[in-house]
Amino acid sequence: MQFLERAALDALFDALRAEGRAVLGPTVVDGAIRLAPIDGAQDLPAGWTDAQGPGHYRLRRGGDATFDGYVVGPDSLKQVFFPSKETLYRAERRADGKLGFSPVLPDPGASAVLGVRACDLAAARIQRAALEGGPYAEPRHRARREAALIVAVNCTRPGALCFCASTETGPRVTEGADLVLTERPDGFLVEAPTQAGRAVLARLDTRPAAADEVAWVDDAMREAAANMGREVDLDGLPEQLFGRLDHARWKIVAERCLACGNCTSVCPTCFCSTSEHPSSIDGDEASRVRLWDSCFTEEHAYIHGGGFRPRTEDRYRQWLTHKVGAWVAQFGTSGCVGCGRCIAWCPVGIDLTEEIAALRQGEGIAALPAPPAHACATDEDLVPRAATVTRVERESDDVVTLHVAVDEGLQGVLPGRFCQVSLPGIGEVPISISGGDGALLEHTIRAVGRATDALCALSPGDAVGIRGPYGRAWPLEALAGRPVVVVAGGIGLAPLRGALRSMIARPDEFPEVHLCYGARSPADVLYAKELLGWMEVPTMHLHLTVDHASPAWLGHVGVVTRLLDARSVPAGASAMICGPEIMMRFTVERLAQLGVPDERTWVTMERNMQCATGFCGRCQYGPYFVCKDGPVFSFDQIRFLFGEEGY
Amino acid sequence: MSARPRLGIFKMASCDGCQLQLVGCEDELLAVAGALDIAFFAVATSKKDDGGRYDLALVEGSVSNEEQLAHLLDIRARSDFLVTIGACATSGGIQALRNWRDVDEMIRVVYATPSYIDTLATSTPIADHVPVDFELRGCPIDKGQLVELITAFLVGRRPAIRDESVCMECKRAGATCVLVAKGDPCLGPITHAGCGAICPRFGRGCYGCFGPKERAAASALAAHLASGGVPAEALVRKLRGFTAWAPAFRDASDALDEG
Repeated sequence: MQFLERAALDALFDALRAEGRAVLGPTVVDGAIRLAPIDGAQDLPAGWTDAQGPGHYRLRRGGDATFDGYVVGPDSLKQVFFPSKETLYRAERRADGKLGFSPVLPDPGASAVLGVRACDLAAARIQRAALEGGPYAEPRHRARREAALIVAVNCTRPGALCFCASTETGPRVTEGADLVLTERPDGFLVEAPTQAGRAVLARLDTRPAAADEVAWVDDAMREAAANMGREVDLDGLPEQLFGRLDHARWKIVAERCLACGNCTSVCPTCFCSTSEHPSSIDGDEASRVRLWDSCFTEEHAYIHGGGFRPRTEDRYRQWLTHKVGAWVAQFGTSGCVGCGRCIAWCPVGIDLTEEIAALRQGEGIAALPAPPAHACATDEDLVPRAATVTRVERESDDVVTLHVAVDEGLQGVLPGRFCQVSLPGIGEVPISISGGDGALLEHTIRAVGRATDALCALSPGDAVGIRGPYGRAWPLEALAGRPVVVVAGGIGLAPLRGALRSMIARPDEFPEVHLCYGARSPADVLYAKELLGWMEVPTMHLHLTVDHASPAWLGHVGVVTRLLDARSVPAGASAMICGPEIMMRFTVERLAQLGVPDERTWVTMERNMQCATGFCGRCQYGPYFVCKDGPVFSFDQIRFLFGEEGY
Repeated sequence: MSARPRLGIFKMASCDGCQLQLVGCEDELLAVAGALDIAFFAVATSKKDDGGRYDLALVEGSVSNEEQLAHLLDIRARSDFLVTIGACATSGGIQALRNWRDVDEMIRVVYATPSYIDTLATSTPIADHVPVDFELRGCPIDKGQLVELITAFLVGRRPAIRDESVCMECKRAGATCVLVAKGDPCLGPITHAGCGAICPRFGRGCYGCFGPKERAAASALAAHLASGGVPAEALVRKLRGFTAWAPAFRDASDALDEG
């Protein structure tokens, strides 16, 4: 540990600039401590004091010309590493009709961020886990993170809303910093845990810290930890929250909550985003832009036909059960770092620590299943690959199957996985793989919105963009050797078709396959010709039903669960299901009655997936992200949450 | 598209300010004019309504008299995609303040010759009278959103017009919250985004000219502001501005008024 005179603080700026670093640091802007470009020590908020309370933040001048009078303002490293709005790629329609996609990747110059607190370094680690932790890594986030040198400060005077001691993320800086400063009246005790930090330190005129100064830091940190303005008990919280999804408190807090998204915007770990597809008026030039989103917006959980979280109580519960609940299962840590921002910047002053304390009062415990581990993280720039429609098959009035050739070919085309299919200027939609291999993809698409309308209107020769495939495939290896019951509703047959083809091709492993398929009407039956062919296959047994029969229809009428009986569900069978959630719920129940256990029942989930890589947070479902941990799940993985309103 | 889609821009009771936003789209106006056949736009061209069909109709203003209502029904019948633009068209506008008053009495007090005045007792949004395909909020509407709407219509995408709070835009823009840091009563948390948080970015509270966002908890915000010392009358005035008749603001202000 070294000692730096207060008067020499400008030398730190000189040292950082000598390395070519742009310096960001705390400074007073519009009545708050903000993180902004600064030139020297004179821009730092010396002598400023903040008064923070629920929904309340005021700055005033006064006291000593030191830096210990204030804690965090609304900004954090999130702004630096994960900007609120950025272009991900540009797309153009070339003269030959082909699409050209080019990534937009930042080229961040070297930077230094000053005055970062322990809570925010913990938050940066947690955001990194979400954006770079696997199976995909966001290269834009990494580039910005790696370009920054962090000059952290130990908090000696925590604020009224601070509770990092409870979350074990402060007040002492223990991670993520290149330099750590602890302020004393006469100067700063400086530690340099990294090589980059030591290089900066070497440029400064410092002296070794005396033993009593080193001891003083330890004392100051102990004292700070004992002087937190708030506290929270996170122990066992995930199990309590998920065991209390009907707790009366959710409704009580929803009476105050404005669902405005301020809490998530200032939270240094919240990472949810959405995307837009701006274009020129002729549509020939387009881009995809990512911007911060919030689980408090309606659109966050919206899929065609409706939203999963219409009520404010659903949204608050979603946020809290993720932040301090499912987050632990997903990332091994709570998503709360005790910075208090969500309390200060909530317009109506909802206090997370108070809500947690209230929710702890109650009954109910639910264990959360662990999500699958994603060992490696491959770079994912989120840029589609150019592809061409080679064939269009009309399946029904509003459903077509596109055959798509991807110029570069694709790895990992397996039934159950999905691709992001895009049209520049219109949008990207997740579409399951209904057939194909590395050279050719089949996507069966129902026209339910603007993007799917446009996709369904494509003709052979038209260009599209393809990203993927993503997600988890049907576990055919695990299913082999037993009878298999495939239950499909409507368009739900699409993600199952590839699996059915594979099982037909491997009769030794799949000697008895039952397909129970329900469509709205005979005209809505998908893949009619292929189904007729399957009727000739000895290992395949077809059971069809429609909701509304036409006069010529001689088969079953009614819901698909009525097809499930001892004949179609043989003893020892496993099951695969895809359809509307309500249909899947009744199907699972019926299958359980017929002896198919949860762990041998596989379902595929639909949520509002935009990035498909776990970055955008929109398909977060309990401990999972549907895009990367699913969309195929065994039912025992999701039983604890399945059908729960608001998820 | 072989023929260019026909665009008509119509007005009811309004100040023309929203139409002028299109004229003000200097950079994009030529592209818009190239992509669309601007068949009727009284503010900018001398062409008369030829009685034909419109692929896209932009309707400004509220329904304030019988003549406007008849005109609106006619436009709707001749338009494939009808978009209301601005606070008047989407909520009834500032002139909807009369909906709380006795119109006959006001006419007698204000006008020298009350018999010249032919008006309905209320000013109401377009969607109260005909089906509306999309609403563009604001007083006035935002140029960028207007261009996005037209582009999205032409290209065939869902317009990137987000029904979220002004706070989302405010935070993305890196503005300091005027409610929390200055105690300025700001309607941002309950107001539909689209303005780019222009008022908070210039240090003043939002006055709700884009109208309520979905699930606007106007009463909850009002209760909080009241607990901070803002008098009920001031809250009523705050909610009864350019979008006073929008249900979420109307109901909350009525509750305060009665309360």
